[in-house]
Amino acid sequence: MTMPTMRSRTAIADSAPRRWPAVLPLLGRALAGLWLFALLVVLWWVLSAGSTSPYFPPLSTIVSELGKLWVFHDVRVDLVPSLEHLAVGYVLAGVIAIAIATLFWRVRTARDSLSPLVYFLYVLPAPALLPAFIVLFGIGGSMKIAIIGFAALWPVLFNAIDGMQSIDPVKLDTARSLGMSHRQTLRWVVLPGAAPQIAAGLRNSLQVAILLMVVSEMVASTSGIGYFILNAQQSFESVDMWTGIIVLGIVGSALNFIFVAAERVVLRWYYGERALQTT
Amino acid sequence: MSAVSAPRRVPRRLRAPALRSGLSGIGGVLVVLAIWQALSAAGTLPADSFPSMWSVVKAVVSDLGTASGWRSIGSTMAGWASGFAIGAVAAVLVGMGIGLSAFAFRSTILVIEFMKTIPVIAILPLAMLEFGGTLKMEYTIVAFGVFWPLVIQVVYGVRAMDPVVRDTAEALRVTGLRRFALIVVPSAAPFIATGLRIAAGVALILTIIAELIGGAAGLGRDMLVAEDSGTSALARLYALIVITGLLGIVISIAFRAAERRFLRWHERFRTIEGTVA
Repeated sequence: MTMPTMRSRTAIADSAPRRWPAVLPLLGRALAGLWLFALLVVLWWVLSAGSTSPYFPPLSTIVSELGKLWVFHDVRVDLVPSLEHLAVGYVLAGVIAIAIATLFWRVRTARDSLSPLVYFLYVLPAPALLPAFIVLFGIGGSMKIAIIGFAALWPVLFNAIDGMQSIDPVKLDTARSLGMSHRQTLRWVVLPGAAPQIAAGLRNSLQVAILLMVVSEMVASTSGIGYFILNAQQSFESVDMWTGIIVLGIVGSALNFIFVAAERVVLRWYYGERALQTT
Repeated sequence: MSAVSAPRRVPRRLRAPALRSGLSGIGGVLVVLAIWQALSAAGTLPADSFPSMWSVVKAVVSDLGTASGWRSIGSTMAGWASGFAIGAVAAVLVGMGIGLSAFAFRSTILVIEFMKTIPVIAILPLAMLEFGGTLKMEYTIVAFGVFWPLVIQVVYGVRAMDPVVRDTAEALRVTGLRRFALIVVPSAAPFIATGLRIAAGVALILTIIAELIGGAAGLGRDMLVAEDSGTSALARLYALIVITGLLGIVISIAFRAAERRFLRWHERFRTIEGTVA
Protein backbone atom coordinates (compact mmCIF):
# COMPACT_ATOMS: atom_id res chain seq x y z
CA MET A 1 0.00 0.00 0.00
CA THR A 2 2.73 2.40 0.92
CA MET A 3 4.85 1.68 -2.12
CA PRO A 4 2.65 3.37 -4.75
CA THR A 5 2.20 6.48 -2.60
CA MET A 6 5.94 6.73 -2.12
CA ARG A 7 6.51 6.38 -5.78
CA SER A 8 3.97 8.99 -6.76
CA ARG A 9 5.36 11.38 -4.20
CA THR A 10 8.85 11.07 -5.61
CA ALA A 11 7.40 11.57 -9.03
CA ILE A 12 5.90 14.87 -7.92
CA ALA A 13 9.13 15.84 -6.22
CA ASP A 14 10.98 15.05 -9.42
CA SER A 15 8.78 17.11 -11.64
CA ALA A 16 8.55 20.14 -9.36
CA PRO A 17 12.03 21.60 -9.88
CA ARG A 18 11.75 21.00 -13.61
CA ARG A 19 8.83 23.42 -13.82
CA TRP A 20 10.80 26.61 -13.41
CA PRO A 21 13.36 26.09 -16.13
CA ALA A 22 10.43 25.23 -18.39
CA VAL A 23 8.80 28.58 -17.67
CA LEU A 24 11.93 30.64 -18.25
CA PRO A 25 12.44 29.86 -21.94
CA LEU A 26 8.74 30.50 -22.39
CA LEU A 27 9.22 33.96 -20.89
CA GLY A 28 12.24 34.48 -23.11
CA ARG A 29 10.26 33.42 -26.13
CA ALA A 30 7.46 35.82 -25.20
CA LEU A 31 9.98 38.65 -24.95
CA ALA A 32 11.63 37.67 -28.22
CA GLY A 33 8.22 37.70 -29.83
CA LEU A 34 6.94 40.89 -28.31
CA TRP A 35 9.78 43.37 -28.79
CA LEU A 36 8.95 43.99 -32.44
CA PHE A 37 5.30 44.39 -31.59
CA ALA A 38 6.13 47.00 -28.98
CA LEU A 39 8.56 48.71 -31.33
CA LEU A 40 5.93 49.01 -34.04
CA VAL A 41 3.41 50.57 -31.69
CA VAL A 42 6.03 53.02 -30.40
CA LEU A 43 7.06 53.87 -33.96
CA TRP A 44 3.44 54.50 -34.92
CA TRP A 45 3.03 56.70 -31.84
CA VAL A 46 6.18 58.75 -32.50
CA LEU A 47 5.89 59.06 -36.27
CA SER A 48 2.22 60.04 -36.17
CA ALA A 49 2.69 62.47 -33.25
CA GLY A 50 2.78 65.68 -35.30
CA SER A 51 0.77 64.32 -38.21
CA THR A 52 -1.58 66.71 -39.94
CA SER A 53 -2.59 64.20 -42.63
CA PRO A 54 -6.35 63.78 -42.62
CA TYR A 55 -5.94 60.05 -43.16
CA PHE A 56 -3.36 59.30 -40.51
CA PRO A 57 -4.15 61.22 -37.33
CA PRO A 58 -1.77 60.99 -34.34
CA LEU A 59 -2.10 57.71 -32.45
CA SER A 60 -2.40 59.63 -29.19
CA THR A 61 -5.56 61.33 -30.50
CA ILE A 62 -6.96 58.00 -31.65
CA VAL A 63 -6.30 56.39 -28.27
CA SER A 64 -7.94 59.15 -26.25
CA GLU A 65 -10.92 59.15 -28.60
CA LEU A 66 -11.04 55.37 -28.32
CA GLY A 67 -11.53 55.65 -24.59
CA LYS A 68 -14.19 58.33 -24.91
CA LEU A 69 -16.18 56.65 -27.66
CA TRP A 70 -15.97 52.95 -27.02
CA VAL A 71 -15.58 52.33 -23.34
CA PHE A 72 -19.25 52.83 -22.53
CA HIS A 73 -21.55 54.06 -25.17
CA ASP A 74 -20.58 52.54 -28.49
CA VAL A 75 -19.77 49.10 -27.21
CA ARG A 76 -23.39 48.73 -26.12
CA VAL A 77 -24.88 50.38 -29.20
CA ASP A 78 -22.59 49.31 -32.01
CA LEU A 79 -20.73 46.24 -30.86
CA VAL A 80 -23.04 44.06 -28.76
CA PRO A 81 -25.80 43.74 -31.40
CA SER A 82 -23.18 42.90 -34.05
CA LEU A 83 -21.72 40.17 -31.86
CA GLU A 84 -25.20 38.79 -31.14
CA HIS A 85 -25.89 38.41 -34.85
CA LEU A 86 -22.50 36.80 -35.26
CA ALA A 87 -23.06 34.32 -32.43
CA VAL A 88 -26.54 33.24 -33.54
CA GLY A 89 -25.58 32.92 -37.21
CA TYR A 90 -22.34 31.09 -36.48
CA VAL A 91 -23.79 28.57 -34.04
CA LEU A 92 -26.74 27.86 -36.33
CA ALA A 93 -24.37 27.34 -39.25
CA GLY A 94 -22.17 24.93 -37.28
CA VAL A 95 -25.07 22.81 -36.01
CA ILE A 96 -26.84 22.66 -39.37
CA ALA A 97 -23.63 21.89 -41.26
CA ILE A 98 -22.70 18.97 -39.00
CA ALA A 99 -26.28 17.65 -39.18
CA ILE A 100 -26.25 17.76 -42.99
CA ALA A 101 -22.80 16.15 -43.12
CA THR A 102 -24.06 13.34 -40.88
CA LEU A 103 -27.02 12.83 -43.19
CA PHE A 104 -24.64 12.71 -46.15
CA TRP A 105 -22.52 10.15 -44.35
CA ARG A 106 -25.55 7.90 -43.84
CA VAL A 107 -27.12 8.46 -47.27
CA ARG A 108 -24.34 8.19 -49.80
CA THR A 109 -26.60 8.98 -52.77
CA ALA A 110 -27.53 12.30 -51.22
CA ARG A 111 -23.86 13.14 -50.82
CA ASP A 112 -22.90 12.14 -54.34
CA SER A 113 -25.74 14.01 -55.97
CA LEU A 114 -25.54 17.18 -53.90
CA SER A 115 -21.77 17.58 -53.52
CA PRO A 116 -21.34 19.63 -56.75
CA LEU A 117 -23.89 22.08 -55.35
CA VAL A 118 -22.08 22.20 -52.00
CA TYR A 119 -18.83 22.82 -53.85
CA PHE A 120 -20.39 25.65 -55.87
CA LEU A 121 -21.70 27.35 -52.74
CA TYR A 122 -18.37 26.77 -50.99
CA VAL A 123 -16.30 28.52 -53.67
CA LEU A 124 -18.93 31.22 -54.33
CA PRO A 125 -17.65 34.40 -52.63
CA ALA A 126 -20.28 34.86 -49.90
CA PRO A 127 -20.43 38.69 -50.09
CA ALA A 128 -21.81 38.27 -53.62
CA LEU A 129 -25.01 36.94 -52.04
CA LEU A 130 -25.54 40.03 -49.93
CA PRO A 131 -27.67 42.02 -52.41
CA ALA A 132 -29.89 38.96 -52.91
CA PHE A 133 -30.29 38.50 -49.16
CA ILE A 134 -31.28 42.16 -48.81
CA VAL A 135 -34.02 41.62 -51.40
CA LEU A 136 -35.17 38.46 -49.57
CA PHE A 137 -34.91 39.50 -45.92
CA GLY A 138 -34.89 43.30 -45.90
CA ILE A 139 -32.20 45.12 -43.94
CA GLY A 140 -32.96 44.09 -40.36
CA GLY A 141 -31.23 41.79 -37.92
CA SER A 142 -32.72 38.66 -39.48
CA MET A 143 -30.99 39.44 -42.78
CA LYS A 144 -27.66 39.74 -40.99
CA ILE A 145 -28.11 36.50 -39.10
CA ALA A 146 -29.21 34.79 -42.32
CA ILE A 147 -26.22 35.96 -44.39
CA ILE A 148 -23.72 35.23 -41.60
CA GLY A 149 -25.20 31.78 -41.07
CA PHE A 150 -25.42 31.01 -44.77
CA ALA A 151 -21.85 32.07 -45.45
CA ALA A 152 -20.47 30.22 -42.43
CA LEU A 153 -22.30 27.01 -43.32
CA TRP A 154 -20.27 25.92 -46.34
CA PRO A 155 -16.71 25.78 -45.01
CA VAL A 156 -17.90 23.60 -42.09
CA LEU A 157 -20.05 21.40 -44.30
CA PHE A 158 -17.33 21.00 -46.93
CA ASN A 159 -14.73 20.03 -44.34
CA ALA A 160 -17.10 17.82 -42.33
CA ILE A 161 -18.08 15.83 -45.42
CA ASP A 162 -14.43 15.44 -46.36
CA GLY A 163 -13.41 14.50 -42.81
CA MET A 164 -16.15 11.90 -42.44
CA GLN A 165 -15.34 10.46 -45.84
CA SER A 166 -11.64 10.05 -45.23
CA ILE A 167 -11.92 8.04 -42.02
CA ASP A 168 -9.72 4.97 -42.04
CA PRO A 169 -11.88 2.13 -43.46
CA VAL A 170 -10.23 -0.26 -41.00
CA LYS A 171 -11.83 1.67 -38.15
CA LEU A 172 -15.24 1.45 -39.76
CA ASP A 173 -14.79 -2.29 -40.38
CA THR A 174 -13.74 -2.74 -36.76
CA ALA A 175 -16.84 -0.89 -35.59
CA ARG A 176 -18.99 -3.12 -37.78
CA SER A 177 -17.40 -6.33 -36.56
CA LEU A 178 -17.88 -5.17 -32.97
CA GLY A 179 -21.57 -4.94 -33.77
CA MET A 180 -21.81 -1.19 -33.20
CA SER A 181 -25.01 0.46 -34.39
CA HIS A 182 -24.90 3.35 -36.86
CA ARG A 183 -25.53 5.71 -34.01
CA GLN A 184 -22.67 4.30 -31.94
CA THR A 185 -20.35 4.31 -34.95
CA LEU A 186 -21.23 7.95 -35.53
CA ARG A 187 -20.67 8.89 -31.90
CA TRP A 188 -17.45 6.94 -31.26
CA VAL A 189 -15.77 6.62 -34.66
CA VAL A 190 -17.01 9.07 -37.27
CA LEU A 191 -17.44 12.28 -35.29
CA PRO A 192 -14.14 11.98 -33.37
CA GLY A 193 -12.35 10.97 -36.57
CA ALA A 194 -13.66 13.97 -38.46
CA ALA A 195 -13.33 16.38 -35.50
CA PRO A 196 -9.93 17.87 -36.44
CA GLN A 197 -11.12 18.70 -39.91
CA ILE A 198 -14.50 19.94 -38.67
CA ALA A 199 -12.52 22.25 -36.37
CA ALA A 200 -10.50 23.52 -39.34
CA GLY A 201 -13.77 24.21 -41.12
CA LEU A 202 -15.19 25.98 -38.07
CA ARG A 203 -12.12 28.20 -37.85
CA ASN A 204 -12.42 29.06 -41.51
CA SER A 205 -16.12 29.78 -40.95
CA LEU A 206 -15.39 32.08 -38.07
CA GLN A 207 -13.31 34.31 -40.36
CA VAL A 208 -16.07 34.30 -42.96
CA ALA A 209 -18.71 35.02 -40.32
CA ILE A 210 -16.79 38.02 -38.95
CA LEU A 211 -16.30 39.29 -42.49
CA LEU A 212 -19.99 39.00 -43.30
CA MET A 213 -20.97 40.58 -39.99
CA VAL A 214 -19.01 43.69 -40.95
CA VAL A 215 -19.88 43.70 -44.65
CA SER A 216 -23.62 43.29 -43.99
CA GLU A 217 -23.49 46.31 -41.70
CA MET A 218 -21.54 48.33 -44.24
CA VAL A 219 -23.98 47.68 -47.06
CA ALA A 220 -27.33 47.89 -45.32
CA SER A 221 -27.53 49.12 -41.76
CA THR A 222 -27.72 52.11 -39.50
CA SER A 223 -25.91 50.49 -36.59
CA GLY A 224 -23.11 48.08 -35.86
CA ILE A 225 -19.34 48.25 -36.01
CA GLY A 226 -19.27 48.00 -39.81
CA TYR A 227 -21.70 50.87 -40.20
CA PHE A 228 -19.73 52.90 -37.65
CA ILE A 229 -16.45 52.54 -39.54
CA LEU A 230 -17.90 53.19 -42.99
CA ASN A 231 -20.01 56.11 -41.78
CA ALA A 232 -16.96 57.69 -40.13
CA GLN A 233 -15.01 57.27 -43.36
CA GLN A 234 -17.76 58.79 -45.48
CA SER A 235 -18.06 61.80 -43.20
CA PHE A 236 -14.25 62.14 -43.12
CA GLU A 237 -14.08 61.57 -39.36
CA SER A 238 -10.81 59.74 -39.71
CA VAL A 239 -10.09 59.61 -35.96
CA ASP A 240 -13.42 57.89 -35.37
CA MET A 241 -12.73 55.59 -38.29
CA TRP A 242 -9.40 54.59 -36.80
CA THR A 243 -10.99 53.82 -33.42
CA GLY A 244 -13.44 51.55 -35.24
CA ILE A 245 -10.61 49.82 -37.10
CA ILE A 246 -8.75 49.22 -33.85
CA VAL A 247 -11.84 47.91 -32.05
CA LEU A 248 -12.60 45.60 -34.95
CA GLY A 249 -9.00 44.37 -34.96
CA ILE A 250 -9.17 43.64 -31.25
CA VAL A 251 -12.52 41.87 -31.60
CA GLY A 252 -11.27 39.76 -34.50
CA SER A 253 -8.12 38.75 -32.64
CA ALA A 254 -10.00 38.01 -29.42
CA LEU A 255 -12.54 35.79 -31.16
CA ASN A 256 -9.74 33.94 -32.91
CA PHE A 257 -7.85 33.50 -29.68
CA ILE A 258 -10.95 32.15 -27.91
CA PHE A 259 -11.51 29.73 -30.77
CA VAL A 260 -7.95 28.42 -30.74
CA ALA A 261 -8.03 28.03 -26.94
CA ALA A 262 -11.35 26.14 -27.11
CA GLU A 263 -10.01 23.97 -29.91
CA ARG A 264 -6.95 23.07 -27.83
CA VAL A 265 -9.20 21.92 -24.99
CA VAL A 266 -11.76 20.04 -27.07
CA LEU A 267 -9.20 18.34 -29.30
CA ARG A 268 -6.65 17.71 -26.55
CA TRP A 269 -6.73 13.97 -27.24
CA TYR A 270 -5.94 14.62 -30.89
CA TYR A 271 -2.94 16.83 -30.26
CA GLY A 272 -1.71 14.28 -27.73
CA GLU A 273 -2.03 11.49 -30.27
CA ARG A 274 -0.23 13.47 -32.93
CA ALA A 275 2.59 14.45 -30.58
CA LEU A 276 3.06 10.76 -29.78
CA GLN A 277 3.25 9.93 -33.47
CA THR A 278 5.85 12.53 -34.28
CA THR A 279 8.22 11.72 -31.42
CA MET B 1 -7.53 29.71 -43.63
CA SER B 2 -6.07 27.34 -41.11
CA ALA B 3 -2.68 28.38 -39.76
CA VAL B 4 -0.65 25.56 -41.20
CA SER B 5 -2.07 22.95 -43.49
CA ALA B 6 0.34 20.17 -44.16
CA PRO B 7 -0.47 17.76 -46.96
CA ARG B 8 -2.49 14.80 -45.71
CA ARG B 9 -2.90 11.21 -46.69
CA VAL B 10 -6.00 10.46 -48.72
CA PRO B 11 -6.58 7.05 -50.25
CA ARG B 12 -6.75 7.12 -54.03
CA ARG B 13 -10.28 6.56 -55.20
CA LEU B 14 -11.17 3.98 -57.79
CA ARG B 15 -12.29 5.06 -61.20
CA ALA B 16 -15.71 3.39 -61.49
CA PRO B 17 -17.23 4.87 -58.26
CA ALA B 18 -15.79 8.26 -59.27
CA LEU B 19 -17.64 8.06 -62.56
CA ARG B 20 -20.84 7.00 -60.84
CA SER B 21 -20.68 9.79 -58.27
CA GLY B 22 -19.88 12.24 -61.07
CA LEU B 23 -23.01 11.17 -62.94
CA SER B 24 -25.21 11.37 -59.85
CA GLY B 25 -23.67 14.80 -59.23
CA ILE B 26 -24.87 16.02 -62.61
CA GLY B 27 -28.24 14.42 -61.90
CA GLY B 28 -28.40 16.14 -58.51
CA VAL B 29 -27.74 19.56 -60.01
CA LEU B 30 -30.43 19.01 -62.66
CA VAL B 31 -32.97 17.89 -60.04
CA VAL B 32 -32.29 20.91 -57.84
CA LEU B 33 -32.63 23.25 -60.82
CA ALA B 34 -35.91 21.56 -61.79
CA ILE B 35 -37.27 21.92 -58.24
CA TRP B 36 -36.29 25.59 -58.27
CA GLN B 37 -38.16 26.14 -61.55
CA ALA B 38 -41.20 24.23 -60.28
CA LEU B 39 -41.35 26.23 -57.05
CA SER B 40 -41.18 29.48 -59.04
CA ALA B 41 -43.87 28.32 -61.43
CA ALA B 42 -46.12 27.28 -58.54
CA GLY B 43 -45.62 30.68 -56.91
CA THR B 44 -44.03 29.26 -53.74
CA LEU B 45 -40.99 31.40 -54.51
CA PRO B 46 -42.43 34.90 -55.03
CA ALA B 47 -41.27 36.27 -58.38
CA ASP B 48 -40.62 39.75 -56.96
CA SER B 49 -37.92 38.52 -54.56
CA PHE B 50 -36.66 35.24 -56.03
CA PRO B 51 -36.50 34.91 -59.83
CA SER B 52 -37.22 31.64 -61.58
CA MET B 53 -34.38 29.35 -62.57
CA TRP B 54 -35.11 29.79 -66.26
CA SER B 55 -35.01 33.61 -66.13
CA VAL B 56 -31.66 33.45 -64.34
CA VAL B 57 -30.22 31.05 -66.92
CA LYS B 58 -31.44 33.37 -69.69
CA ALA B 59 -29.88 36.35 -67.88
CA VAL B 60 -26.55 34.52 -67.53
CA VAL B 61 -26.53 33.70 -71.24
CA SER B 62 -27.48 37.24 -72.30
CA ASP B 63 -24.92 38.74 -69.90
CA LEU B 64 -22.19 36.57 -71.37
CA GLY B 65 -23.27 37.73 -74.83
CA THR B 66 -22.58 41.40 -74.20
CA ALA B 67 -19.33 43.32 -74.21
CA SER B 68 -20.22 45.09 -70.95
CA GLY B 69 -20.78 41.74 -69.26
CA TRP B 70 -17.31 40.61 -70.22
CA ARG B 71 -15.87 44.01 -69.28
CA SER B 72 -17.15 43.53 -65.73
CA ILE B 73 -15.71 40.04 -65.57
CA GLY B 74 -12.44 41.50 -66.89
CA SER B 75 -12.39 44.24 -64.25
CA THR B 76 -13.02 41.73 -61.49
CA MET B 77 -10.32 39.42 -62.79
CA ALA B 78 -7.89 42.34 -63.14
CA GLY B 79 -8.44 43.34 -59.51
CA TRP B 80 -8.18 39.74 -58.38
CA ALA B 81 -5.06 38.94 -60.41
CA SER B 82 -3.08 42.09 -59.61
CA GLY B 83 -3.89 41.98 -55.88
CA PHE B 84 -3.20 38.26 -55.67
CA ALA B 85 0.10 38.60 -57.53
CA ILE B 86 1.36 41.46 -55.37
CA GLY B 87 0.32 39.79 -52.12
CA ALA B 88 1.65 36.40 -53.13
CA VAL B 89 5.07 37.60 -54.35
CA ALA B 90 5.53 39.72 -51.22
CA ALA B 91 4.44 36.87 -48.95
CA VAL B 92 6.74 34.32 -50.57
CA LEU B 93 9.77 36.66 -50.43
CA VAL B 94 9.15 37.86 -46.88
CA GLY B 95 8.12 34.40 -45.68
CA MET B 96 11.30 32.80 -47.01
CA GLY B 97 13.41 35.46 -45.37
CA ILE B 98 11.69 35.01 -42.04
CA GLY B 99 11.66 31.24 -42.26
CA LEU B 100 15.40 31.04 -42.88
CA SER B 101 16.39 33.05 -39.82
CA ALA B 102 15.54 31.76 -36.36
CA PHE B 103 15.87 35.27 -34.94
CA ALA B 104 13.56 36.80 -37.53
CA PHE B 105 11.07 33.98 -36.93
CA ARG B 106 10.98 34.50 -33.17
CA SER B 107 10.68 38.27 -33.55
CA THR B 108 7.98 38.47 -36.16
CA ILE B 109 5.76 35.43 -35.72
CA LEU B 110 3.54 36.96 -33.04
CA VAL B 111 3.09 40.16 -35.03
CA ILE B 112 2.18 38.15 -38.13
CA GLU B 113 -0.20 35.85 -36.26
CA PHE B 114 -1.86 38.92 -34.79
CA MET B 115 -2.11 40.72 -38.13
CA LYS B 116 -3.66 37.60 -39.66
CA THR B 117 -6.54 37.68 -37.20
CA ILE B 118 -7.44 41.31 -37.94
CA PRO B 119 -10.36 41.25 -40.35
CA VAL B 120 -9.07 42.73 -43.64
CA ILE B 121 -12.40 44.44 -44.01
CA ALA B 122 -11.31 46.78 -41.19
CA ILE B 123 -8.84 48.55 -43.45
CA LEU B 124 -11.20 48.78 -46.43
CA PRO B 125 -12.47 52.25 -45.41
CA LEU B 126 -8.88 53.41 -45.04
CA ALA B 127 -8.06 52.23 -48.55
CA MET B 128 -11.24 53.88 -49.83
CA LEU B 129 -10.23 57.14 -48.19
CA GLU B 130 -6.78 56.97 -49.77
CA PHE B 131 -7.59 55.71 -53.24
CA GLY B 132 -11.36 56.03 -53.79
CA GLY B 133 -13.24 53.43 -55.82
CA THR B 134 -10.31 52.51 -58.04
CA LEU B 135 -8.41 49.45 -59.16
CA LYS B 136 -5.59 50.58 -56.89
CA MET B 137 -7.88 50.44 -53.86
CA GLU B 138 -9.04 47.02 -54.98
CA TYR B 139 -5.61 45.46 -55.33
CA THR B 140 -4.37 47.06 -52.12
CA ILE B 141 -7.14 45.34 -50.17
CA VAL B 142 -6.71 42.04 -51.98
CA ALA B 143 -2.92 42.06 -51.57
CA PHE B 144 -3.22 42.87 -47.86
CA GLY B 145 -5.72 40.05 -47.35
CA VAL B 146 -3.61 37.56 -49.29
CA PHE B 147 -0.33 38.48 -47.63
CA TRP B 148 -0.87 37.56 -43.96
CA PRO B 149 -2.27 34.03 -44.18
CA LEU B 150 0.14 33.17 -46.99
CA VAL B 151 3.26 34.50 -45.31
CA ILE B 152 2.55 32.22 -42.32
CA GLN B 153 2.17 29.26 -44.62
CA VAL B 154 5.50 30.08 -46.33
CA VAL B 155 7.32 30.56 -43.02
CA TYR B 156 6.14 27.22 -41.67
CA GLY B 157 6.85 25.58 -45.00
CA VAL B 158 10.47 26.72 -44.97
CA ARG B 159 10.84 25.63 -41.36
CA ALA B 160 9.22 22.24 -41.88
CA MET B 161 12.30 20.98 -43.68
CA ASP B 162 12.92 17.27 -43.21
CA PRO B 163 15.78 17.03 -40.65
CA VAL B 164 17.42 14.21 -42.60
CA VAL B 165 17.46 16.31 -45.76
CA ARG B 166 18.81 19.28 -43.83
CA ASP B 167 21.59 17.25 -42.20
CA THR B 168 22.48 15.55 -45.48
CA ALA B 169 22.78 18.93 -47.19
CA GLU B 170 25.01 20.11 -44.39
CA ALA B 171 27.21 16.99 -44.56
CA LEU B 172 27.55 17.42 -48.32
CA ARG B 173 28.40 21.10 -47.83
CA VAL B 174 25.50 22.30 -49.95
CA THR B 175 25.28 25.95 -48.99
CA GLY B 176 24.17 29.35 -50.15
CA LEU B 177 22.11 29.70 -53.28
CA ARG B 178 22.41 26.01 -54.15
CA ARG B 179 21.04 25.04 -50.76
CA PHE B 180 18.17 27.48 -51.24
CA ALA B 181 17.27 26.20 -54.70
CA LEU B 182 17.82 22.49 -54.03
CA ILE B 183 16.73 22.12 -50.42
CA VAL B 184 14.65 25.04 -49.17
CA VAL B 185 12.36 25.69 -52.12
CA PRO B 186 11.44 22.05 -52.81
CA SER B 187 10.59 21.32 -49.19
CA ALA B 188 8.53 24.48 -48.80
CA ALA B 189 6.76 24.07 -52.15
CA PRO B 190 3.77 21.94 -51.02
CA PHE B 191 3.02 24.34 -48.17
CA ILE B 192 3.27 27.32 -50.49
CA ALA B 193 1.03 25.62 -53.05
CA THR B 194 -1.68 24.94 -50.45
CA GLY B 195 -1.34 28.50 -49.20
CA LEU B 196 -1.63 29.93 -52.71
CA ARG B 197 -4.75 27.92 -53.45
CA ILE B 198 -6.47 29.11 -50.27
CA ALA B 199 -5.29 32.68 -50.85
CA ALA B 200 -6.76 32.64 -54.37
CA GLY B 201 -10.22 32.03 -52.91
CA VAL B 202 -9.76 34.69 -50.24
CA ALA B 203 -8.62 37.12 -52.93
CA LEU B 204 -11.83 36.62 -54.92
CA ILE B 205 -13.96 37.29 -51.83
CA LEU B 206 -12.05 40.51 -51.17
CA THR B 207 -12.27 41.57 -54.81
CA ILE B 208 -16.05 41.29 -54.67
CA ILE B 209 -16.17 43.23 -51.39
CA ALA B 210 -13.96 45.99 -52.79
CA GLU B 211 -16.42 46.34 -55.65
CA LEU B 212 -19.57 45.96 -53.60
CA ILE B 213 -18.64 48.43 -50.88
CA GLY B 214 -15.65 50.28 -52.26
CA GLY B 215 -17.30 50.94 -55.62
CA ALA B 216 -14.49 49.66 -57.85
CA ALA B 217 -15.71 48.55 -61.28
CA GLY B 218 -16.59 44.89 -61.73
CA LEU B 219 -19.16 42.20 -60.92
CA GLY B 220 -19.59 43.38 -57.32
CA ARG B 221 -20.57 46.90 -58.35
CA ASP B 222 -22.92 45.55 -61.02
CA MET B 223 -24.67 43.54 -58.30
CA LEU B 224 -25.31 46.65 -56.25
CA VAL B 225 -26.61 48.47 -59.33
CA ALA B 226 -28.90 45.53 -60.13
CA GLU B 227 -30.16 45.43 -56.55
CA ASP B 228 -30.98 49.13 -56.66
CA SER B 229 -32.86 48.85 -59.95
CA GLY B 230 -35.59 46.77 -58.30
CA THR B 231 -37.60 43.77 -59.42
CA SER B 232 -36.87 44.11 -63.14
CA ALA B 233 -33.15 43.52 -62.63
CA LEU B 234 -33.59 40.67 -60.16
CA ALA B 235 -32.76 37.93 -62.65
CA ARG B 236 -29.64 39.83 -63.62
CA LEU B 237 -28.62 40.11 -59.95
CA TYR B 238 -28.82 36.33 -59.60
CA ALA B 239 -27.07 35.89 -62.94
CA LEU B 240 -24.14 37.94 -61.59
CA ILE B 241 -24.04 35.73 -58.49
CA VAL B 242 -23.94 32.62 -60.68
CA ILE B 243 -21.17 34.12 -62.83
CA THR B 244 -19.15 34.99 -59.71
CA GLY B 245 -19.59 31.42 -58.48
CA LEU B 246 -18.41 30.08 -61.83
CA LEU B 247 -15.32 32.31 -61.57
CA GLY B 248 -14.72 30.79 -58.14
CA ILE B 249 -14.95 27.29 -59.58
CA VAL B 250 -12.60 28.11 -62.47
CA ILE B 251 -10.01 29.58 -60.08
CA SER B 252 -10.28 26.70 -57.64
CA ILE B 253 -10.00 24.01 -60.33
CA ALA B 254 -7.11 25.82 -62.04
CA PHE B 255 -5.13 26.00 -58.79
CA ARG B 256 -5.78 22.36 -57.94
CA ALA B 257 -4.69 21.30 -61.42
CA ALA B 258 -1.57 23.48 -61.29
CA GLU B 259 -0.69 22.12 -57.89
CA ARG B 260 -0.97 18.56 -59.13
CA ARG B 261 0.99 19.35 -62.27
CA PHE B 262 3.90 21.24 -60.71
CA LEU B 263 4.26 19.15 -57.61
CA ARG B 264 4.01 15.79 -59.27
CA TRP B 265 7.69 15.22 -58.55
CA HIS B 266 7.11 15.60 -54.84
CA GLU B 267 7.01 12.24 -53.09
CA ARG B 268 4.22 13.33 -50.80
CA PHE B 269 2.13 14.44 -53.74
CA ARG B 270 2.33 11.18 -55.60
CA THR B 271 -0.36 9.76 -53.37
CA ILE B 272 -1.50 12.80 -51.48
CA GLU B 273 -3.68 15.79 -51.95
CA GLY B 274 -3.42 19.05 -49.99
CA THR B 275 -5.88 19.61 -47.17
CA VAL B 276 -8.96 21.63 -47.75
CA ALA B 277 -8.86 24.56 -45.42
